[in-house]
Amino acid sequence: MLNTLRTLQAMPRDSRDTLFLLGVIGWILLPHVGNLPVWCSALAAAMLAWRGWLAATGRPLPGIAWRIGLLALTLVATLATHRTLLGRDAGVTLIVVLLALKTLELRARRDAFVVFFLGFFTMLTHFFFSQSLLTAAAMLIGLLGLLTALVNAHMPAGRPSLGAAFRTAGTLALFGTPVMVALFMLFPRIGPLWGLPSDAMSGRSGLSATMTVGHIAQLALDETVALRVRFQGRPPPQSDLYFRGPVLAHFDGRTWQPQPLRHDSPPAARLLSVSGAPVRYEVTMEPSKQPWLFLLEAATDAPALPGYGARLTPDLQWLANRPVTDLVRYQATSYPSYRLGPSDALARTTLRQFVDLPPGFNPRTLQLAADMRADVRLADARTTALVGAVLERLRNGGYRYTLEPGVSGPHSADEFWFDTREGFCEHIASAFVVLMRALGVPARVVTGYQGGTLNSLDGYWEVRQSDAHAWAEVWEAGRGWVRVDPTAAVAPGRTGTAQRLQVPRGVIAQALVTLSPDLLAQLRQGWNALNNRWNQWVLNYTQNRQMDLLRQLGFDTPDWQDLSLLLIALAVAASLAGAAWTLWERRQHDPWLRLLARARRRLAAAGLPLPPNASPREMGQLVRALPATQDTGTRRPALTPDQAQKLHAWLLRLERWRYAPPPSPTGPATPSHHDTLAALRREFRHLPWPPPCRNSSRLLFFQ
Amino acid sequence: MRSRVQAWFAARLPPTDTVTLTQGTVYILPSRAGLMLVATLAVLLVASINYQLNLGYLLTFLLAGSAVAGMYVGHGTLRGLTLHLAPPGDCFMAENAPLEIVLSNARSWPRHGIGLSVSGAPHWVWTDVPAQGSISVRLAFSPRTRGRQRVPTLTAQTRYPMGTFRVWTVWRPAATVLVYPAPEPLAPPLPPGEPRTGGTQPAPARSGGEFDGVRAWRRGDPMKLVVWKKFAKTGELVSRDGGQAQRHELWLDFARAGVTGTEARLSRLCAWVLAADRLGIEYGLRLPAMEIPPSSGPAHRRHCLEALALC
Repeated sequence: MLNTLRTLQAMPRDSRDTLFLLGVIGWILLPHVGNLPVWCSALAAAMLAWRGWLAATGRPLPGIAWRIGLLALTLVATLATHRTLLGRDAGVTLIVVLLALKTLELRARRDAFVVFFLGFFTMLTHFFFSQSLLTAAAMLIGLLGLLTALVNAHMPAGRPSLGAAFRTAGTLALFGTPVMVALFMLFPRIGPLWGLPSDAMSGRSGLSATMTVGHIAQLALDETVALRVRFQGRPPPQSDLYFRGPVLAHFDGRTWQPQPLRHDSPPAARLLSVSGAPVRYEVTMEPSKQPWLFLLEAATDAPALPGYGARLTPDLQWLANRPVTDLVRYQATSYPSYRLGPSDALARTTLRQFVDLPPGFNPRTLQLAADMRADVRLADARTTALVGAVLERLRNGGYRYTLEPGVSGPHSADEFWFDTREGFCEHIASAFVVLMRALGVPARVVTGYQGGTLNSLDGYWEVRQSDAHAWAEVWEAGRGWVRVDPTAAVAPGRTGTAQRLQVPRGVIAQALVTLSPDLLAQLRQGWNALNNRWNQWVLNYTQNRQMDLLRQLGFDTPDWQDLSLLLIALAVAASLAGAAWTLWERRQHDPWLRLLARARRRLAAAGLPLPPNASPREMGQLVRALPATQDTGTRRPALTPDQAQKLHAWLLRLERWRYAPPPSPTGPATPSHHDTLAALRREFRHLPWPPPCRNSSRLLFFQ
Repeated sequence: MRSRVQAWFAARLPPTDTVTLTQGTVYILPSRAGLMLVATLAVLLVASINYQLNLGYLLTFLLAGSAVAGMYVGHGTLRGLTLHLAPPGDCFMAENAPLEIVLSNARSWPRHGIGLSVSGAPHWVWTDVPAQGSISVRLAFSPRTRGRQRVPTLTAQTRYPMGTFRVWTVWRPAATVLVYPAPEPLAPPLPPGEPRTGGTQPAPARSGGEFDGVRAWRRGDPMKLVVWKKFAKTGELVSRDGGQAQRHELWLDFARAGVTGTEARLSRLCAWVLAADRLGIEYGLRLPAMEIPPSSGPAHRRHCLEALALC
């Protein structure tokens, strides 16, 4: 790294500047590699490398035919990849190539500016894909790099060091930060100006709307945070934290899907009755591109969600009126003790669909159900007893929880119950529901998140993608839908305590764990707390937060006009402060004038007849004449000739500092010929100033 | 209207040889690149609004904040800078005359990317001024007229740090410069000398072998009269002129310049003055309004050139 910098410093200025700019552009483009088609990354890298080689060897730039050819190639390839030139992904592809291509045309000032501004726009495109803290940090470095290159381009004289340009860029960004903060907090947030292209929201992970075997296994490896929850008051036990997501009731043998909405489905609000103490909490949810709002079971009231509407499905799932595309935060109230649909009469007509099984699948499970029904003890048993019997089988039948169940054939429930006897929550839940249905008990699969871990640093509960879970609900006459978590029967550790199957670690993480088992956990907690703060303060800064801010500032019914007024007031205040600073600077910021004024005051106090704008040289001449004159009181000269000579010399040096050109017109001033102002100021105190004359001292005395 | 604006402007800028730039004399406007940046910021903002990217807002506003800070920094680059014009020497018309300008920086950090130029000229001389130091810069200007005139108005500008604003100042130095006529490029040889006027003494006989002066070589001069030492040093052919200087004196006469038109005559006289001075011979200058008796040396040359400039 250091060697690279040294080589860079030794190059001709043109080559050095170009290579630095190319490096910055490379840094900006690098995080896009995962988001771009392979050909695009390769083409951009090749063009940057080509340009770098041309700059390093001082060769001429390629002709216009090359550039047009490359541009045409890019357009064709983009069309072939994305089937369009519009939209987010095609746009990003084009911008990246254009930026790399434009570096091949760095001739005039205008070209350089086009590169800079394309670079700024490319930085923005990263935020389509990720707004994480890491992305922000990488782009901050990129922005400082681009600003450094921009400043360097406006230092035309000589060969300034990149460090000087970087310091200026840093100063600019530092001074720009208050402006950024003020604008960020007060700029009125408005909705999208026009409809977004359809591909605007792809590429973000989350629970799926359907459940095919193996899907949640991938999620279980994903340790990113899905929800952050802060409870008011005491949080419920971890084993009760069921965040309800899509309810899957339709099974075709392989895939569970939500039940199509039927006209005769009774609204959930009519089925739901709650009791006991409510739990109040606040959820910060990462964008999921789905309309699902994850709430603890069971919430009767719609969560307060800025910018979205919320409704309750008959399945007791809360949905937003559009996919959640940004980080949202909502307040909610849930009742851990609830009953869903105990009135049999109401539900009887719709219950039939919850015992449907596709014909031709899982024959051995059907046989198992028939055998159980034939069992004397269970022949007429109520639902509770059946559920208990199945859970008993799960507990004692040698079933095992695993994240690597392998590929299952078409009869997934059969394989689980009789062959592999292992699986993770969705295998278990699916097999459980199939068996319950075979027994004639209405049952369905519920997906969502279960559990979470408390981050002790900031008090937020973190629910990760790996906490994605599938459980079951069975219908009991007189009680309605009852939650049954068969996974808990197989692996009590999966729910409840924090002990879970560990995701395979990377080498560094493994080394850290060997070194200190707690360190990794602490690092992780710290990192997550930092991320959470980032989410809370930056990504989730919405219109609501703006209005809260205004309310705290004393506006009763704030709206966007108040925001604008506040913004204008701030701008005016800042301008006035700037003007005041300039005035101050103008009045007394010139250190040379200040030093001259101090010298003048000393001499005037000694009674020297100074003209109002005497130059140091004129003062010096008066000082030189001092030894010849005698003080009226003491009859002695105010200064000896030696002292006067010293003072005179100092005054001349003061004048030379300001007006004399340095010894050579191009080289810097050498210290031996040219004093620094600081040195002159230091000497000021030790100079033999003439004593204040008696007239003025008498005046002082009588005052 | 235009002249009134210029008069107002001139009154605002009293001519001075040393100027410390202040708020009142430093101007600032967005450059073309600045307008491009505004367009870029607008695009960034629209994208941030449409895709609801809070990080996009941050980027946009940080860039805007940096540009605002850049405006202040750019203005500060010129504000407080002291410009001083070293007294310019005299020069010939239509030749590049050097102007030496000393830029002094009193503050404790450097000023970067300052360009200086004669107002209206397309060429800029770029320089940095070190912290608490000064640097001198040479500008060239070619005067279009002859005579004593004020040093042209100078412009200092900077686009530092981001190029989004052009900060400039206009400076009218008080110093004057005397512009001599342009010497005629291929002037004919010096005119022959005139008999000394009022010659009461009789011309002494030519004493063989004794020479009193030199003159430009003329066709027909014998080889032994050439001052070879002079030729070796300067490359000029000069002949010894025995006794002629006493009988003849060289008068460069406006009326006998051999061309018509005042400027053309002055131009030729200027070339002759320079030629005679190079040869080191005595010459006098006769102009319509004045007459300078024959002499030689730098002071005499200067005297003659000034007379030509002010004629």
